[in-house]
Amino acid sequence: MATRDSLDFNVGVEEEEEEGTPSPSSISPPSSPLSYFDRDRHVAFFEMLYNLMPYHYQSQEINRLTLAFFTISGLHLLQALDRVDKDRVANWVLSFQAHPRSRAELKNGQFYGFHGSRTSQFPPNENGVSVHNAGHLASTYCGLAILKTVGFNLLTIDKESILISMRNLQQPDGSFMPVHVGAETDLRFVYCAAAICFMLEDWSGMDKEKAKDYILNCQSYDGGFGLMPGLESHGGGTYCAVASLRLMGYIEDDLLSKNATSFVVNVPLLLDWCMQRHAIDGGFQGRANKYSDTCYAFWVGAVLKILGGYKLIDKIALRRFLLTCQYEFGGFRKYPRELPDLYHSYYGFTAFSLLEEPGLNPLCAELGMTDLAALENDTRLLCGEKSQSPQRKPRCGEKMKSMVVAWYKALTPEVIGCIDYGGDEKKKNIGSDDDDEQRVMGQPCLVVRGN
Amino acid sequence: MESSEDDGGEPLSRLAEWRDVTPLPQDDGPNPVAPIAYKEEFRETMDYFRAIYKADERSPRALRLTRRAIHLNPGNYTVWHFRRLVLEPLNSDLDEELDFIQRIANSNSKNYQLWHHRRWVVERLGTNVRAKELHLIKSILSLDAKNYHAWSHRQWVLQALGGWEDELDYCQQLLEEDIFNNSAWNQRYFVVTRSPFLGGLTAMRASEVRYTVEAILANPNNECPWRYLRGLYKDDIESLVNNHEISSVCLKPCQEFRDAVVALWTSDSLPLDPDLATAICGILEHVDSMRASYWIWRKNKLPVAA
Repeated sequence: MATRDSLDFNVGVEEEEEEGTPSPSSISPPSSPLSYFDRDRHVAFFEMLYNLMPYHYQSQEINRLTLAFFTISGLHLLQALDRVDKDRVANWVLSFQAHPRSRAELKNGQFYGFHGSRTSQFPPNENGVSVHNAGHLASTYCGLAILKTVGFNLLTIDKESILISMRNLQQPDGSFMPVHVGAETDLRFVYCAAAICFMLEDWSGMDKEKAKDYILNCQSYDGGFGLMPGLESHGGGTYCAVASLRLMGYIEDDLLSKNATSFVVNVPLLLDWCMQRHAIDGGFQGRANKYSDTCYAFWVGAVLKILGGYKLIDKIALRRFLLTCQYEFGGFRKYPRELPDLYHSYYGFTAFSLLEEPGLNPLCAELGMTDLAALENDTRLLCGEKSQSPQRKPRCGEKMKSMVVAWYKALTPEVIGCIDYGGDEKKKNIGSDDDDEQRVMGQPCLVVRGN
Repeated sequence: MESSEDDGGEPLSRLAEWRDVTPLPQDDGPNPVAPIAYKEEFRETMDYFRAIYKADERSPRALRLTRRAIHLNPGNYTVWHFRRLVLEPLNSDLDEELDFIQRIANSNSKNYQLWHHRRWVVERLGTNVRAKELHLIKSILSLDAKNYHAWSHRQWVLQALGGWEDELDYCQQLLEEDIFNNSAWNQRYFVVTRSPFLGGLTAMRASEVRYTVEAILANPNNECPWRYLRGLYKDDIESLVNNHEISSVCLKPCQEFRDAVVALWTSDSLPLDPDLATAICGILEHVDSMRASYWIWRKNKLPVAA
């Protein structure tokens, strides 16, 4: 979610997210879009990001785990997970988990999930106390999703700490706060909580009934769901609502094919709302009378998939729109005239997976990741036991360096300057950044030139 | 008290004020995934922030540092959280804090942490700032009338602090500017159903139906008033169906409507179904071809005509 914030979400979140008028300073699209999904370019783009994110992502560094999730899960969707060092990834993700010193600490109000980045994670003090714990629900969801993707056995982690302390985050009205120090509460974090419980196969982490009640209060008069009760119905909010209900078991699979007459939500109205989000240009919009945006092909498309209504959409029209958002150097953008970013690229891949594009892994709509990862219950070696093979020291090898250099050479300064997601307050530092070279902090010397 | 000017981007390591502080570098670990190529100013600011945060120093310079970090990194909830921790013991002027947030919002109006921080400040200032707050949100909405965060904050202010009196008029104004603004329609529903001054949905229904029907007739292709109309009869569909005014909008008057339906029918070989609902689904299959499969599905779900 990312939302611009991530769901920020990815949720954000994530929240993460909102669109306005397309920016006038965007570059023009190529004269005619490719007529096919350019998998190889997307793989190259995501492999680059997996190895190194341009500085423009520094403002999202608090959500580092979310960024990593997009790159790794994206590569998995593209059937390119071989580009990823799974052991290294698993160990890195596990290092973000907050650990209590004792069971008693689980009731101290803190959330012992995963930090989003090193910014919110400090080594314990002299007494071994981790005073600055800022475990975050969205980061925990992303961390667990990455572990599943690389085949790590989730049953071996300290799930009890996560689940017991997660209860500290649930509010009296059923919603969830993402961090214990205080933050906005909305449907994004209900979704994260449900996804966490689902992946850990344990619902003791939340009061499902209360969460369900909160979700139902978010259904708007028009059938869609807002992010909070009273708010305008929104594609992202609707996804969080429906996917959560499905994960919690309150709605069955493929509801529309069954002739059940009583649902917890007004399904006919919801279905009609979803269908109307399919706009004349072939894309999906997030709200009535707003522009189509790549990511809603996932947020709304996945809702339809969960309900069993995806077969009702015009896939040809959707595919045509998405291809106009595909960027010729890899990735997807929000609108045809914008520039690509990690978030819209990831959701572009998920949208193509829903369309059953050859060469992509199938999607688990409820979890927003590859189906194989979601269902896999891998008991492979990567669970704290030492690997038998010697640890490869990861380096930015020569081949990768030249690939990255070639990549940046292909991009104009405008493109480099515009990688950002969400919000219309973008285009930071275009042209004003006169760094022709950019020395990567802490890495073997890698000099990258823009045009 | 904070300076109203930014630090000007002078490296912290060169400022005498920070000489006693050892910056705390980020420990990315041996094998970081998706590392970010931080710019020097960012890296340095966050290194100093980490040091101050770890030491839990709640001082005026710490407050200034959070301002600097927020400018570079407005999504970092840890920085905002620490700023709140520092504001309180310093007895800071929270009205000035609102101004600070507003300046950040000028380039980050869709940032969750910023709005949450604003809510925190407003909670402490109470109803005194209600009018100012509602006015500020209006100015943000005047730039982007659909800013979801602004609407969320507005609904919170109304529910926490009141100020409902002029809200319906405000919705009216926005809809006059843009009848297609779904956020304004949603807010209208919010006001009509929740305002303590209006008597609730049932009391407002008649006047709202009149307003909505007028909007529909002016722009029948606008999805918003159709959905709003349906929403006015939430949990009471029978009344919707039996309302003559509404059915005259949809079927006005019956024969003229049927003529239009017949005119839309494109098939020469198949006769138009005598059942109106089935006929309409059949037509929509052709004129709303993107949703053809949906209309076929809907048609098959219709109760069989007696």
